[in-house]
Amino acid sequence: MSAAADRLRRLVGVDVGAALNLVGALVRYLSLAFLLPIGVALWYSEPVAPFLLAGGIVAAAGLGLEHVTQGKERVGPREGFLVVALTWLFAAAAGALPYLFADEPQLGGPVNAYFESMSGFTTTGASVLTDIEALDRSLLLWRQFTQWLGGMGIIVLALAVLPRLRVGGRQLMESELPGPELEPLAASIRETARRLWTVYVALTALEIVVLSLLAWTGADESMSFFDAVAHAFTTMPTGGFSTQGESIGAFGPATQWTVVAFMALAGSNFVLMYRTLVRRTPRAYARDEEFRLYGALLVLGSAIVLVELLHVGLESGEEAVRHAVFQATSLMTTTGYASVDFNEWTAVAPLAVMVLVALMFVGGSAASTAGSIKVVRHVLIGKILRRELDQTLHPEVVQPVRLNRRTVDERTLRAVIGFVLLYVGIFVLGAILLVVEATRVGVTVTPFEAIAASATTLGNVGPALGFAGPIGSFEPFSDLSKGIMIALMWIGRLELVPVVVLFTRAYWRA
Amino acid sequence: MEGVARVLRSGALGVDVGSALNLVAAVLKYLAAAFLLPAAVAVGYREPVWPFLAAGAVTAATGLLVERGTQDKERVGPREGFLVVALIWLAVPAFGALPYLFADEPQLARPVDAYFEAMSGFTATGATLLTDIESLDRSLALWRQFTQWLGGMGIVVLAVAVLPRLRVGGRQLFQSELAGPTELERLTATIRETARRLWVLYVGLTLVAIAVLTAYGWTGADDAMGLYDATAHAFSTLAIGGFSTREDSMAAFAPVTQWTIVVFLLLAGINFLRLYLVLVRGKVRAVARDDEFRLYLAFAAAGSALLLVELLAGDSSHGEEAVREAVFQAVSIMTTAGFATADYTAWSPLAGLTLLVLMFLGASAGSTGGSIKVVRHLLMFRIIRRELEQTVHREAVVPVRLNTTVVEDRALRGVVTFIVLYIGLFALGALGLLVDAKRVAVEVGAFEALGAAAACLGNVGPAFGFAGPFGSYEPFSDLSTGVLTGLMWLGRLEIIPVAVLLTRGYWRA
Amino acid sequence: MQIIVVGAGQVGTTIVEALHDDHDVTVVDVDGARLQALSYRYDVRTVNGNGATRRVLQDAGVAEAVLTIACTSRDEINLVTAMLAKNLSDTKTIVRTSNPEYLEVWRERQIDVDFMVSSELETAHAVSRTIGVPAAKQTDVFADGQVQIVEFDVPRRGSGADELTGVPLTEAAERAAARPLSGGYEHVVGLPLRDARIPEDSKVAAIIRAERMLVPRGDQSIMPGDRIVVIGSPDAARTWSRIMARGEHAVDDVVIYGAGATGLAIARVLLDQRIRVRLVEPREERAREVAEELPDARVYCATGVDPDFIERERIGQARAAVFAMREDAKNLYAATLARVHGVGFTIAIVHEPISIEVFERAGIDVAVNPRSVTAEEIVRFAHDPRIRQLAMLEGDRFEILDITVRETSKLVHRPFRELPMTGSLIGAIVRDGSAIFPHGEDQLEPGDRAIIFTESSRVPEVEKAL
Repeated sequence: MSAAADRLRRLVGVDVGAALNLVGALVRYLSLAFLLPIGVALWYSEPVAPFLLAGGIVAAAGLGLEHVTQGKERVGPREGFLVVALTWLFAAAAGALPYLFADEPQLGGPVNAYFESMSGFTTTGASVLTDIEALDRSLLLWRQFTQWLGGMGIIVLALAVLPRLRVGGRQLMESELPGPELEPLAASIRETARRLWTVYVALTALEIVVLSLLAWTGADESMSFFDAVAHAFTTMPTGGFSTQGESIGAFGPATQWTVVAFMALAGSNFVLMYRTLVRRTPRAYARDEEFRLYGALLVLGSAIVLVELLHVGLESGEEAVRHAVFQATSLMTTTGYASVDFNEWTAVAPLAVMVLVALMFVGGSAASTAGSIKVVRHVLIGKILRRELDQTLHPEVVQPVRLNRRTVDERTLRAVIGFVLLYVGIFVLGAILLVVEATRVGVTVTPFEAIAASATTLGNVGPALGFAGPIGSFEPFSDLSKGIMIALMWIGRLELVPVVVLFTRAYWRA
Repeated sequence: MEGVARVLRSGALGVDVGSALNLVAAVLKYLAAAFLLPAAVAVGYREPVWPFLAAGAVTAATGLLVERGTQDKERVGPREGFLVVALIWLAVPAFGALPYLFADEPQLARPVDAYFEAMSGFTATGATLLTDIESLDRSLALWRQFTQWLGGMGIVVLAVAVLPRLRVGGRQLFQSELAGPTELERLTATIRETARRLWVLYVGLTLVAIAVLTAYGWTGADDAMGLYDATAHAFSTLAIGGFSTREDSMAAFAPVTQWTIVVFLLLAGINFLRLYLVLVRGKVRAVARDDEFRLYLAFAAAGSALLLVELLAGDSSHGEEAVREAVFQAVSIMTTAGFATADYTAWSPLAGLTLLVLMFLGASAGSTGGSIKVVRHLLMFRIIRRELEQTVHREAVVPVRLNTTVVEDRALRGVVTFIVLYIGLFALGALGLLVDAKRVAVEVGAFEALGAAAACLGNVGPAFGFAGPFGSYEPFSDLSTGVLTGLMWLGRLEIIPVAVLLTRGYWRA
Repeated sequence: MQIIVVGAGQVGTTIVEALHDDHDVTVVDVDGARLQALSYRYDVRTVNGNGATRRVLQDAGVAEAVLTIACTSRDEINLVTAMLAKNLSDTKTIVRTSNPEYLEVWRERQIDVDFMVSSELETAHAVSRTIGVPAAKQTDVFADGQVQIVEFDVPRRGSGADELTGVPLTEAAERAAARPLSGGYEHVVGLPLRDARIPEDSKVAAIIRAERMLVPRGDQSIMPGDRIVVIGSPDAARTWSRIMARGEHAVDDVVIYGAGATGLAIARVLLDQRIRVRLVEPREERAREVAEELPDARVYCATGVDPDFIERERIGQARAAVFAMREDAKNLYAATLARVHGVGFTIAIVHEPISIEVFERAGIDVAVNPRSVTAEEIVRFAHDPRIRQLAMLEGDRFEILDITVRETSKLVHRPFRELPMTGSLIGAIVRDGSAIFPHGEDQLEPGDRAIIFTESSRVPEVEKAL
């Protein structure tokens, strides 16, 4: 027995025990997150039991896991991938518990609950709910809160708060934080994590204040303090869950413009933002190549949608501008809010919808809370292509690729290319699987809708087209399809590599 | 004037445009000979001969004039090579379109349309603007098929095989035209001999196809087949083109013909350099052990299987018919031919998406097929796998291999560049089509636009919606037709030779 | 005058040759044989030993020495020698270095040496002058590089070989030196300053003429042969160097073979003049390094002697080629090949003095010897330490002051036009982090940082006024 175990240990190059131990610790602390919905439930006199129970189970499971694998405290860089991947799977599972315990009929099945929870933590915003407003307020807020927790990253948060992770933390953080490479913001990884969370919390607080002010001053009658908090929780992580069936379309123009501004902020580089706020150098933004392209693409996307809307006569005046800008910003930053049901544009304005789907592949900036490919990778791809073409002609030319005047490592460049190819591959695979499965169970999904569904879940955007449009729900998909999309959201949130690596033989071999 | 001279002297222009033009003209001159075939057919069927004669005369005259007007440097450098290939592929369809114009064919009366049809021919795409193919003169219809055959193996490859002056410096031209990323595997010592053998194999296979198909007609196995149709379809099959003389493409013929076409399409989709080794030298292993060939068959099988599942689930056909329809469509679209035995636009979404994905696979490198090509998919997969492995083992040195030989990093980077450019162009093309369709109020859905862009860039031919296998690209506006023509051109030359022309570094010294 | 020369290599020998007639020279070297050879040729005292030791320096008579020149091939030895010499007496010191880093640190006055010469930089300047573009010597930088103080040698019209520090060998070199001058030159040189078209955001701070230095007024003019000091923005500094360039960009495209320290320095100087530079370097890592360092240059990783490469990259179309590889033989071969492919003007860096003759026979246009160039610069300084370098001027007759303007200053809120004309000049003011180059209408405000070029005698006066 022990000989076999020994052989296995020598064969497997990954210390699964240590990884699980760390996952247990992380999950244990997650139980604290249930305090917020408990408070809300008490305030609104709604049942507290689901959250208490969920919190208890999560804490017990975490402690149990930690106890079983005790004595192995050190995770190396290799275990990091496993830790990150598993933590996100467990976190989503933990987040699904309240839905199940609350006896919410729309989320009764475990798959539905898990889908909703994964969509929350990965800040996707795809929902299987058909009647959102029927949910308890405490449950609604929990839904929003999962997005807020997942936005800047569970592990980044843990790094900021927990002392133990300091060892090996950098690699964990890099796997979780969006973008190709981490620019050091502070000397220690812990300080970096803290600063990122500080900016994140500050911006969320600011948005709550602004939205509440809109409500109190009467600028937007449909806004309340509850809605302000709930939507601030999902704007900053570019999540996209709403407490309203009509998403942001339920609120007034003032709110919509405010949300646009915060979405654009949430999609920009937080490291850059911190530097700007602390050092007061707004020029850093103007000089940043990624930010320039980010701004340009936002404007361009909005403009095309606007022209199309005006051309087909769907909207006019301020409304047209607002809807065009809102939809473009929402989908490009991978938030997934909607101010109008753009699914209805598909027939009349296919160009607008096509542009919106294309924007799903752009994403926000590196080190933002947005998902998808990210602008900086597009910038780098462009530069790599230009260099390749140049080298076709001049094979001897040596040309380092520069980003903001700094040379980018060849290794990083290769990783960027690998990422983009992998992204496209997984996206195509996802789309095909969705159509195959839809055909099997007899759900009508057009190829374009399948493409949109695959893109939206992999890019952590949220709404797709057809029945899964912004006002619609993913409920009609079969359980297997939902499973595929859960996987896509998970892979997309962790930026592919930490998950895909787990499926290679090289990872497990000693 | 002095300023211009100064710029030239100071080396602002690093490309010898004159000698590039000279070479293009030389190739054009010989193209005139190609018009003899349709002329002969016209004589045989008592159809007007003069459109072909006039087109031939114009081509020859232009070629001679330009050749005289530019200085002959005997040797073009590698840099001019890109320009030569790009220009040849723009000029040849222009002259190939002349018969359509001269013949007063109402469906192709406008130069834009005629150019589209000719470009679709020479690039072996198979997208057509014709709404009533069978109303064409037989000579004109055969010219249409013949353009595909000429373009299939490559005009430059043919030129290298025939023109003595291309002996030097031909290698680079050759490589920018021959499909696929693999370094040219030399069959014999000289590039010229290689080009000749490729063409010998190509001609040989075409003759076999004609013989087999004609035999079906004579033995009564397929009543619809005659010598004329056999020749016409052999031309467009070996070139993996997809033009047909019939309105309903291969559906007009018997099952046995359809199966035969599948076999020839699969053959034409194999790397010709390897096929030569098998057929002429008897080295079966060269193909059987080839990584690319295996994946190629696997892709074809997987595509067929998916379509078959779809057909059986949809209850639209059964038994042999279902298998045949699935296999034929999968092979035809994957090898980028574009023949059809069934109107797959009527099939369900799964089939649509499957076919769209198949359009991106393509045939093998060094074949007459278009699109991304199987070997690039293979290499891309291996590149990603290496990337992942190096993520875990940072110091690992992992060379990427193809058939036990190590592929150079430079070649790998070329593969990646191509794929990224391909995807980018595809997305851009689809968006362009939608924008333009909106402008002129043509009903084009997002999926149809994606299909048309993929079909033209991949030199497949038929797309979805009205541009489906039995349809026509005719409803598209002139601007859209122009965009599609550009995509076919880019796709046939595998993008990079053209993209290079657009960099500033190309033109500067 | 007592002069100690530490290091009797090529540089040392050249220096000794130039100085031994007028001065009492003592040469220090570890190699006795070299010293002996030297003492047979010139009338100098020799001390055998390591110059970076106290005993040897004392033996050499550092106590009485006016000038100590440390010119061995090793930077650190030179630096230590200079430091020891300073400690032992009040001699002035000159250090030869090949490390630009040391040069930079010295410019920031972190190293207590009176004059520092970098072989690479001097070679680069020599090449640049040979090509016909006198390089600016940037001497000081203020406000994060927004204000530069730059020196120029004003070229003479059609002057001949004396301007070329390299040895001109052929007619082509003569022609290069005699190209017509234009590109703004005639609108600046020879005209009273108030009529001259001085580039925007810049001022002429000083004119050095015939060993004298003046703070210019409106009626004075810049004459050919002067050395001028300009204060202005980086853009203006570039415009100035274009004005000072002989010929209207006679050379706008240069290929440099060899991207070692010398090649890199040459590339940098030429790029500063907005000349297109292509570098050919066979070592892959070095090529990458240089490519990272110089974003504007085109770097090839190639030997450069492959005919295919030369033809494909149109090396023959370059207006000039510089050969800065380590071996003379390689330089000669590559240069000859380049000439065969049509490069009109070839400049080679030579390392062995004998090679100059060989190169001449082979038809190379100019040969530049880094050691003799370095030696010449040192000798020039040794002859008159006071006026050759701005760095020397400071703390002597002129100073550059960086003063924050007080609120109580009488000059605040008065247009520049009305400020009294004295022997000082406000070159630039830095306000809210960005530089302003003042015009007549501008005013000083409290809190401004004023960068002032002034005579040393007036420093207290200026400080009081602000």
